[in-house]
Amino acid sequence: MSKKESFDKMTTDILRSVRLTNLSFKIWMGFITVSFLICIYAYTIQLREGLGVAGIRDYVSWGMYISNFVFFVATSLIGMLISAVLGLSGIKWAAPLARIAEIIALAFAMVAGLVIVSDMGRPERLAYVFIYGRIQSPILWDVTVVTTYVAISALLLYLPLIPDLKICYDRLENIPKLQRNIYKWLSLDWSGSPEQIKIVRRSVRILLILIIPVAMGIHTVTSWLFAATTRTGWDSTIFGPYFVSGAFVSGCAAVIIAMFVYRKTYHLDKYITEFHFDKMGRLLVLVSLVYLYFNLNEYLVPGYKMKKFDHFHLMELFSGRFALLFWGTQLLGLVIPLILLLFKKIRRPLPMLVIAIFVLAGAWLKRLLIVVPTMENPYLPIQNVPLNFKFYTPTLIETAITLASIFLVLIIITVLSKVVPIIPIQEIELDEHESESV
Amino acid sequence: MVLLVVMLCFQSGIAQTVVVPADKKAKASPLLFNDAAVKDGENIYNKNCVSCHGNPTKANYQKSMSPIPGDPAEEKFQKNSDGELFYKIGVGNAVMPMFKNILSEEERWKLVGYIRSFNKSYKQPPLEVVVVNLLSKTVKLAISYNEKSHQIAITAKGKIKNDTVPLKGSEIVLYAKRYFGRLQIETVKQTNQQGTVLFAFPKDLPGDKVGNIELIAKINDELFGEVSVSKTLKIGIPTDKPSLTEKRAIWNVNAKAPIWILLTYTIGVLVVLSFLIYIIFSIIKIKKVSKKNN
Ligand code: HEC
Repeated sequence: MSKKESFDKMTTDILRSVRLTNLSFKIWMGFITVSFLICIYAYTIQLREGLGVAGIRDYVSWGMYISNFVFFVATSLIGMLISAVLGLSGIKWAAPLARIAEIIALAFAMVAGLVIVSDMGRPERLAYVFIYGRIQSPILWDVTVVTTYVAISALLLYLPLIPDLKICYDRLENIPKLQRNIYKWLSLDWSGSPEQIKIVRRSVRILLILIIPVAMGIHTVTSWLFAATTRTGWDSTIFGPYFVSGAFVSGCAAVIIAMFVYRKTYHLDKYITEFHFDKMGRLLVLVSLVYLYFNLNEYLVPGYKMKKFDHFHLMELFSGRFALLFWGTQLLGLVIPLILLLFKKIRRPLPMLVIAIFVLAGAWLKRLLIVVPTMENPYLPIQNVPLNFKFYTPTLIETAITLASIFLVLIIITVLSKVVPIIPIQEIELDEHESESV
Repeated sequence: MVLLVVMLCFQSGIAQTVVVPADKKAKASPLLFNDAAVKDGENIYNKNCVSCHGNPTKANYQKSMSPIPGDPAEEKFQKNSDGELFYKIGVGNAVMPMFKNILSEEERWKLVGYIRSFNKSYKQPPLEVVVVNLLSKTVKLAISYNEKSHQIAITAKGKIKNDTVPLKGSEIVLYAKRYFGRLQIETVKQTNQQGTVLFAFPKDLPGDKVGNIELIAKINDELFGEVSVSKTLKIGIPTDKPSLTEKRAIWNVNAKAPIWILLTYTIGVLVVLSFLIYIIFSIIKIKKVSKKNN
């Protein structure tokens, strides 16, 4: 096969997902859309009745919503890890996964902001955050960095996409006219001249460098929402790196799940190979080890000292009300996956899918374990309140609203990966040219 | 079994009932429970009591409390005499707060009136003949300070027609006004034969910039009712702490945010923003190059 032919074949393979809409896609899309709408109905109830319909009360005012927010911000960090950290250090195997990671990053980061709004009893007052926000408040910083991260992620998805959009326009002749025109418009009539390639390369490079501090920023600031208080369980100096390392764990798991699904449904076995799974497995081991190390510090050091107020909080986690959740999350969501992934036999698509699901679920529950027990255990005793103010129990409506955000993420990911090639076409081609010319 | 007994003992340990002295029990309200009084009572109730006792007749009191506060419309409340209710509101019990330093006698009687308004079979006993309010205006309280002994002397005199008489054996409470609420000085004391009572005043109480402290003396006399007088004396330690919101600080308003936060935030945002603007221009440039090429 000549160079030209193989490029043609690859383009056709990768564009298949955009060109063809099969039944299972329609069923999946229908399912998530309907589920999303049902869950949105739950939100209208909350809007009408107030936050009382959720399980959050005066003391535990951050329940599932904020845990979910932290989880979303965390997962979105993977875009930075794969595109920027691996990309800039010249790790070639990660290149085909960059777009998947960027799509995941963008979807989670976009919805993270909305999740915050669902925790507001009066969402129409959102603008007050900007009008009356105090610059000293980590909440204002958080709003700033999350918005910035969404913008950078969008640009980082878009810029390398420009040549591919042109290919879409050229190759996909029998798609709806409007869609084709949008491709044309978005591709900026890419002509592929050396000048343009230079501009894109430089811009992408700037973004890749820029996204590292901003991504570290969003999750560090999110951790400061907790760590900037003096409450037991949150009053920690390592919360920033602890959160960031945890973020990579959940992000890697999300990418592995997405890789598996795209590979199966879009028949991309040739482009997302077992080799990539093996590499992602190793990456997950690495980030899990770092996260485990931070977990050790975060629980062992206070657990050794057992200061008066920490004592109660930690015992609730280690052997009290949250013990099952705590040990379950730590073991099934972190330690056991980490050990299993050390074996080469496990680092294959199907076992890794199962492991990644466990890791992702564990990551979600871990955020709940960071948020809720501390809120249930304030320094000043909880007095004169009904029992359901003391212990947090999520309600059905709250769960539905949380699910709404997850469905929205799935919708964004599904739609994005339907309209753009999920494996960078042009980038690979350029790389091949380069390696040739060397 | 043993456990049960122990638990029962423990239970009753918390929920000791208030013992109301016989004379207080028999005390009747000096004011008429008319509509205005009941209305006032309702307002006071909604501010101070509703959080625990709920709305009378609705039985929506705090059921998780021990002992349970109960609904004022219930039999448990209504079987008290007026004097008992008044006394119990004043002294509190277990979790029930003590209200005698928070609410005046008049306010507490109005509460009793409000509680009674839920009892159809209640008839207020005829008022005692003493016309309290008229007389009370003529009570005179003199507050003076003895520097040597650090004592506050309060002398109470009442005027009946043209005679001024010292009020003997009246209860007097002395407070010093603080930022939030009042600080009671010593305990409630009774006036002597001359109508005077002495309070030992603490030597180390902070005052304002020049040491001024506002004192409030309250007398409670059978005949003259409740009267309070306030007087500002220079008897505290001069204290001039700069207000916590004067300087730039983390907790201050935006305009007084610490410089380092302002700088870090602004510079950070500007740097990132300038890069983003540069990228936008690059995108526009790509478009221009395409136009030129085609
Ligand atoms: C912090 C909660 C709380 C607040 C506020 C409170 N109460 Fe109570 N109250 C209680 C509890 C608990 C009891 C029961 C005490 C007991 O059984 O010994 C009680 C008992 C009483 C009783 C005695 C009832 C009886 O059985 O004899 C009266 C009268 C009363 N409250 C009136 C009031 C009024 C009037 C107010 C407002 C000025 C008020 N309370 C505010 C908690 C409260």
